[in-house]
Amino acid sequence: MLETQTPSFRRAVVALNGGRSDARITRIACELARANRAELVAVHVVEVSWSQPLDADIAGHSDEAQRVLDSAEEIAEESKVIIEPVLLQARDAGPALVDEALERDADLLILGLPYRKKFGGEFVIGRTIPYVLKNAPCAVWVVREPIPEGAS
Amino acid sequence: MFILVVGGGKVGYYLAKELIENGHEVVIMEKDHSRADQITDELGSIVISADGCEGTSLGKAGCARADIVAAVTGDDEDNLVICQMAKHHFDVPRTIARVNNPKNEELFHHLGVDELASPTRMILGTIEQDIPVQELLHLATLGEGRLELIEAHLQADSPAVGRTPSQLAMPEGCALFGIIRDGVAVPLTPDMALRESDKVIAIGNKACERALHLLLIGATGTDGVAGA
Repeated sequence: MLETQTPSFRRAVVALNGGRSDARITRIACELARANRAELVAVHVVEVSWSQPLDADIAGHSDEAQRVLDSAEEIAEESKVIIEPVLLQARDAGPALVDEALERDADLLILGLPYRKKFGGEFVIGRTIPYVLKNAPCAVWVVREPIPEGAS
Repeated sequence: MFILVVGGGKVGYYLAKELIENGHEVVIMEKDHSRADQITDELGSIVISADGCEGTSLGKAGCARADIVAAVTGDDEDNLVICQMAKHHFDVPRTIARVNNPKNEELFHHLGVDELASPTRMILGTIEQDIPVQELLHLATLGEGRLELIEAHLQADSPAVGRTPSQLAMPEGCALFGIIRDGVAVPLTPDMALRESDKVIAIGNKACERALHLLLIGATGTDGVAGA
């Protein structure tokens, strides 16, 4: 039997990678949050290379990181939903997202996946999504963006 | 401190684990991807799956800001290359290499590796500690590799037996500072006569080893230093 009920959650972490999929997953999260009266946390992780200390002041001075979160807040405002922006610095985005979901007691983690292929045609999923799928204690939704025309 | 551990075998794994527990920032380089994944699962995101013998990989691992680089792979040649790049290309203040073949130690020192850790020598020393040897026993390397802690087990024919430290013409850069007599550690005083079976503990630079050997062991036996 086909389930038509809106999926429910009480607190979702929306992982923003700064790419094209951010707007799509933020809109989906906002629509569902409004229907569920759920809380939303938008998380953007700035990965710090080992050549710099983890506490180097990078994220705070990054216009790009601020833009990512501002865009999510604008979409939430349009949808009349409150979204809490969180900017993190970590060596790897995957463990940082899982830790944030745990710390916030989130019951859903939403990630976007750009459609990319390596030279040679192999689909690229990256390392963050497999890590989150393997380690997140809550439900995980991965929203893959549509295949661009001519890329299939 | 930020410590770069190259080699994610048993030694590298437990070394990193202890260092993390002691509050240090640690990154491990391991070229075997499946081993790197295994360590990541156990210790978290502190592993870079890359070959530590490549300069670009060392750079990505933060070698330029490392306080210490410990090369602990199972391959002496790799450990030497890693320490040399760390020292001369990235100006790392302290390099430590695992040396599996004791015969490579001199070369490592000569090429500027600050400190060596030799499991072979340690086991050899443990075996030899209770066996009378006609050699000086090397216990540890101190002073960033410049000094040696040495033990001499005095035999009946040792020229030092029956003499006091003040009667011995100690080579420059070398000092006797204690003895182990009947299993008890005793501080050495200038008027204390040395006896057969005493284990004399000395500290000194490598250059004075031959003179120390002649003074405490005599001209017999292998003229050298056994491992510890």
